[in-house]
Amino acid sequence: MDLPDEDGGWDRITGAGWHGLGLTDPIKSVEDKWLLLPAFLKVKGLVKQHIDSFNYFVETDIKNIVKANNKVTSDVDPRFWLKYTDINVGLPDRNEINPIERKLTPHECRLRDITYSAPISVTIQYTRGKNIVQRTVNIGRLPIMLRSSKCVLTGKNQAELARMTECPLDPGGYFVVRGTEKVILVQEQLSKNRIIVELDSVKGIVQASCTSSTHGGLKSKTYVTTKKGKIYLRHNSVHEDIPIVIALKALGIQSDKEILLLTAGNTESYKAAFSTNLEDAAKLGVFTRQQALEYIGTRVKVNRKVMGPRRPAWEEALEALATIVLAHVPINGLDFRPKAIFVATMTRRVLMAMEDEKMVDDRDYVGNKRLELAGQLLALLFEDLFKTYNANLKTAIDKVLKKQSRTNEFDAFNTMQFQGDHLTSGFARAISTGNWSLKRFRMERAGVTHVLSRLSFISALGMMTRISSQFEKTRKVSGPRALQPSQWGMLCPSDTPEGEACGLVKNLALMTHITTDVEEEPIIGLAFMLGVEDICLATGTEIYGPHTFVVNVNGTIIGLTRYPTRFVYQFRRLRRARRFSEFVSVYINHHHKAVHIASDGGRICRPMIIVENGRPRVTSEHIALLKKGAVTFDDFLRKGLVEYLDVNEENDTFIALYESDIVPATTHLEIEPFTLLGAVAGLIPYPHHNQSPRNTYQCAMGKQAIGAIGYNQLNRIDTLLYLSVYPQQPMVKTKTIELVGYDRLPAGQNATVAVMSYSGYDIEDALILNKASLDRGYGRCQVLRKNATLIRKYPNGTFDRLADAPTDENNPGQIAKKYDIIQLDGLAGVGERVDPGDVYINKQTPTNSTDNSFNGQAASVPYRNTPMTYKSPVAGNIDKVLISDTENDQTLIKVLIRQTRRPELGDKFSSRHGQKGVCGLIVNQEDMPFNDQGINPDTIMNPHGFPSRMTVGKMIELLAGKAGVLSGNLQYGTAFGGSKVEDMSRILVEHGFSYAGKDMLTSGITGEHLEAYVYFGPIYYQVCNCSVINSVSGFKHMVMDKMHARARGPRATLTRQPTEGRSREGGLRLGEMERDCLIGYGATQLLLERLMISSDKFEVNACSKCGLMGYNGWCTYCKSSKQMAQLTIPYAAKLLFQELMAMNVVPRLVLDDA
Amino acid sequence: MQGTRADLEPSVRIRDLKKDRVNFVLENVDLAFANSVRRVMMADLPTVAIDLVEFKTNTTVLPDEFIAHRLGMIPLVSSNCDEGMRFTRDCTCLAACQYCSVQLKLDVACHNNTTMDITSNHLEVTPYVNEFSQMGEGEAGDEPSKRGEYFGHPVGKNDPDVPPVLICKIRKGQELRVRCIAKKGIAKEHAKWSPCSAVSFEYDPYNKLRHTSYWFETDSQTEWPLSDNALEEEKPRDDEVFDFNAQPRKFYLEVETDGSLGPQEVVMQGLAELQSKLAKIVLGLKKTEPDMAVGDSVDEAPPADAWGASGGGWGADGGAGAAPGWGNSSPSRTAAAGAWGGGGGGGGWTSPAQPAAAGWSV
Repeated sequence: MDLPDEDGGWDRITGAGWHGLGLTDPIKSVEDKWLLLPAFLKVKGLVKQHIDSFNYFVETDIKNIVKANNKVTSDVDPRFWLKYTDINVGLPDRNEINPIERKLTPHECRLRDITYSAPISVTIQYTRGKNIVQRTVNIGRLPIMLRSSKCVLTGKNQAELARMTECPLDPGGYFVVRGTEKVILVQEQLSKNRIIVELDSVKGIVQASCTSSTHGGLKSKTYVTTKKGKIYLRHNSVHEDIPIVIALKALGIQSDKEILLLTAGNTESYKAAFSTNLEDAAKLGVFTRQQALEYIGTRVKVNRKVMGPRRPAWEEALEALATIVLAHVPINGLDFRPKAIFVATMTRRVLMAMEDEKMVDDRDYVGNKRLELAGQLLALLFEDLFKTYNANLKTAIDKVLKKQSRTNEFDAFNTMQFQGDHLTSGFARAISTGNWSLKRFRMERAGVTHVLSRLSFISALGMMTRISSQFEKTRKVSGPRALQPSQWGMLCPSDTPEGEACGLVKNLALMTHITTDVEEEPIIGLAFMLGVEDICLATGTEIYGPHTFVVNVNGTIIGLTRYPTRFVYQFRRLRRARRFSEFVSVYINHHHKAVHIASDGGRICRPMIIVENGRPRVTSEHIALLKKGAVTFDDFLRKGLVEYLDVNEENDTFIALYESDIVPATTHLEIEPFTLLGAVAGLIPYPHHNQSPRNTYQCAMGKQAIGAIGYNQLNRIDTLLYLSVYPQQPMVKTKTIELVGYDRLPAGQNATVAVMSYSGYDIEDALILNKASLDRGYGRCQVLRKNATLIRKYPNGTFDRLADAPTDENNPGQIAKKYDIIQLDGLAGVGERVDPGDVYINKQTPTNSTDNSFNGQAASVPYRNTPMTYKSPVAGNIDKVLISDTENDQTLIKVLIRQTRRPELGDKFSSRHGQKGVCGLIVNQEDMPFNDQGINPDTIMNPHGFPSRMTVGKMIELLAGKAGVLSGNLQYGTAFGGSKVEDMSRILVEHGFSYAGKDMLTSGITGEHLEAYVYFGPIYYQVCNCSVINSVSGFKHMVMDKMHARARGPRATLTRQPTEGRSREGGLRLGEMERDCLIGYGATQLLLERLMISSDKFEVNACSKCGLMGYNGWCTYCKSSKQMAQLTIPYAAKLLFQELMAMNVVPRLVLDDA
Repeated sequence: MQGTRADLEPSVRIRDLKKDRVNFVLENVDLAFANSVRRVMMADLPTVAIDLVEFKTNTTVLPDEFIAHRLGMIPLVSSNCDEGMRFTRDCTCLAACQYCSVQLKLDVACHNNTTMDITSNHLEVTPYVNEFSQMGEGEAGDEPSKRGEYFGHPVGKNDPDVPPVLICKIRKGQELRVRCIAKKGIAKEHAKWSPCSAVSFEYDPYNKLRHTSYWFETDSQTEWPLSDNALEEEKPRDDEVFDFNAQPRKFYLEVETDGSLGPQEVVMQGLAELQSKLAKIVLGLKKTEPDMAVGDSVDEAPPADAWGASGGGWGADGGAGAAPGWGNSSPSRTAAAGAWGGGGGGGGWTSPAQPAAAGWSV
């Protein structure tokens, strides 16, 4: 659109216009465009990455895997075959013989310690005798991700979820395996099938590497690297580096001229740098393809187990080059041209980097990274398990077919029935241990899965967005840990742990989406239709011609274009018209003169509003429709108003942060700036006013806060559950809080805080608490602990049993005190108080349970008591008792014991700004300062917490909170927005308060006005759980657990010195530094005593003539007893002498009169 | 207003008196005295609050301690509590009896399909009938006769103007049956015994005494809003000389109660309490034999304030007075200290099978 300029002529035509608006009227801005965010989250949910990935695996990928491995044949009977035609994953059901209700809910799995899994059924065709039969058979069970397309919770409304005791705010995206909730963390990796050029400036090596990964194929890494100025191809399957010219010749480019053109092009400097390689090949006498193949063939590692005729070397080389080296580049028969061009491109990139150091790639650039999700990891696991399954099936079939005579016709279906639960147990094992050890793919990863932390709602949510990196934590490089500019909007800049994993563990931002694989064939076809010329028809002259751009699809070179801008524009147009997936990205790399199209999975992307002609395509009308609920986020995508951009494509765009920033060149508009933060950092009010590390600290601390966990929290039986008694939603909310549901499942309370010093018990971040507030329920929390036991049945027919309370031996007729809560069924009654030492499950175990020879009456066996006793020093209450049975029919008893705790001295509190403090003093209400209305603070915070921390956000939170309290509404502290300080001050003044948020307080002790005015108002405070854990175990007991002293005691056999450590009743070590002190002080006798007399004193006989040790006053060396002397040395010294002698070293003691 | 009028008689002028609050001006007293009155009103007046809860049935979603805590926070009518009831620690009964406690019962079950609120209106004061045979009654006294008509009832019960206190929400099939024992106590022990919800206290609205120094950016007069009490005093002239000998003589107080005691009663009782405390100090100073002092004080004074326990003198005041501040977990607290988990001296947990045992401390 033309903007009216100063020329007065414009004014005349501004009178009437479209919708009564003149041309010069300001363009109406799109109000509430942030509403796209809730619309996005409504469609995708908070953990869309996990769920999308799992859905893709279950619906598409699993079928591809089966298709790739769909045939089982027999070595014995060539006529036999079995083919998988289809595979389907069902809905989760109860894996029992004849269940009344097949449907299984995730919550039942949690309670009963079973796996939330669905049957995998395959359709098979196979030969039975002379017929071909088709049947459907279950081959195992797959754990199902909650809220995925196969989960029973998907698409249910709140009432239906409530019926299934499931929390509607729970994001899903995890698995329930053997009763525990397990998350498969997002794994960060370097992208596959792309060339990465690196420079090792120390060794002066330039190296281009490419990790090839194809479906079902092996992963292998190919390098093109420099060595003493020459370029080589390096690959694991070849013993030594191959000169690059030989490699290219082997790939079918025989002419030196062509090689030079494909690598160096027409650039003189590249030609000069490359020429030495051509000479090198000539020196080695390699001129033809055959010679090159022979050269490589003798160096290829042959690791074939199959016996067969030895193939000539050139065949080995051909096979290696075709299948292992750069396996992802397609070849047509024996035409290796695409692969040759790929190698040539790698070489050229090396040449470019050799000349200009800046032409290297950045490993840490987010665009060069791919995120691996649950679906991909499960796909790998499934492929491995499925192949093993098929191998086992084949052996089983072979075994049957080997027998010549059979009574009835062989039916492979029966064999399949007896294949065991290899897949089921394989999945369950991998997910519950987190060990992904797939020998087939040379993958050995531990710690892939984690137990979903249910400390608070936020900790569970934060876990779902976590990304773990594959880098070693011990490496001292800062690159991978640093904040990358390309992270903007994709990964949260604040949410990362401190210490070891800092910067390596990241979190997704709010609107991030991770792509799944999109088929690339149609896209390649489309590219050709848009005028791309096939690469196989081009020579070096064209490829590196002045205006040519190479077109890559997923890293593979497919062709050339001379009009990259037009091509990309048209390609994008088609994408916006939804002719292909919205997750396909395209961008131009001007440095490499290349157009890159990416459709692979694991790219990070986010949606953005498209701007055309200086106007956002999303208008207020669209938003109005959205508000009405007439359209969804998908409609915005379909209409081409919004599109997904991945990190690489972002480089091709010009994104305006706000609508007012739009200039003619602008291509996109941010939906909302605060989405650059993640779900956890989004809870912080006014984070843009805080010093950045404070936000990072808060991200770690917010996850420890005690609050509500889920709407089903009272129905859960977790190992340890912390609940707040009176959680409140924060006075100062953020939009993120509303979007993630933190206002409905909060973890904290709005405490009235006075920022002042009081009593001196508040130094070093300690807080003063008002006793009356604690009496009234501030900071009160419940700790629920699970205690579970199995009532076992043993193989010999005996079984455990529950018994009622026995009578007291000393006091017949009375029940012993520790059994007083046991009811007739042998379990403690619900609601009873459990004191330390009380029995709450009176279990008895047969004494001969391991005796396999026993086969008498199970009822008559002797029993011994194996009760569950309450160990905690603080009394609790029985909250719930659950009796159920596990999948293998063992009776399971879970007892939930509850304690209610009020805050005490030393408990940890934290605000939402990374400011934690412990309670230093609890003060009576009448001693607390108060304002002129008689309001006492709940908490007094020392003002010294502010200057060095610079958490201005906290001060604004107080101000906004105070204004909210006075005006009776909630205020917003959304990042890069939120309620303005000016407005807040105005509200304060309207209600008769100082605009600065300061109040005049009166001392509760003297009644005098305090001289200083005090910053006074509500701040959202969280109770942190660390100290609760300590106080549950009881301080007294902690001391008991640690104290240790020893006079005399055990000694180590070898050295005769006192043992080490408390557990072995060890001695207290006088260490090296302590020894230095004693030496420095000159306390020789003390040294002697500590280091020898009270340690390993040993009397030894030594010969003063030869200096060797003898015994019983006899020197075996001198054969005499004349000059023997007795002396005391440490046993360890004696040991040393003897060990030296064993090594042919003679230590001689030179004795002197003392 | 200055030193010359220091010898004037103290005076109280009530500016406003409502059912739950009184606003008055206290003149010609010392700052220390005015503050003492405030503190005593907040922390030292005995009221009645539920202290032990015995659960017979609880099938609500809330755990027992949770409900017990909520019950404890409900204000109960406790007018003339001073005379109408004994402290349990002073009573000779075994656990609780009609002289030292009030029994309330709650028995609610929901039979409808709608969510039902259990409120303080469901709490019924029930006289003791047979319970004494097990608990042992204390020495007979005339306390019950001094109680008002609604003594021990939840505040505002059956008054349509006062919304009841919500205890729990239940749905069909859930039930709550509890027996509560309300005892006399003071707010030093637990905030539930405080009759006041807020006590505002101000003097010298113009800051003539310069007890405080205004924080301001440009001008303190425009930036700081004046309180309403400024109308009572004359505005200082700009050229007025600072009188560094001046003492605050005029105090503006507003006492808001939670309804357990009327506002007049709070103020009057507060003064009386302060008086008796002072009397005890005087008495303690006079006594020469420490034994007698102890014997005397036990009758009326709560042991927490053990006046004169160490033979009179000021040390006892400071020491004992400070103790409750720390002592929320102090084992010396008698009976059940208000907070759950604080003390644990109280009765045991009760199951339906053992109705005799004492219940939960709130």
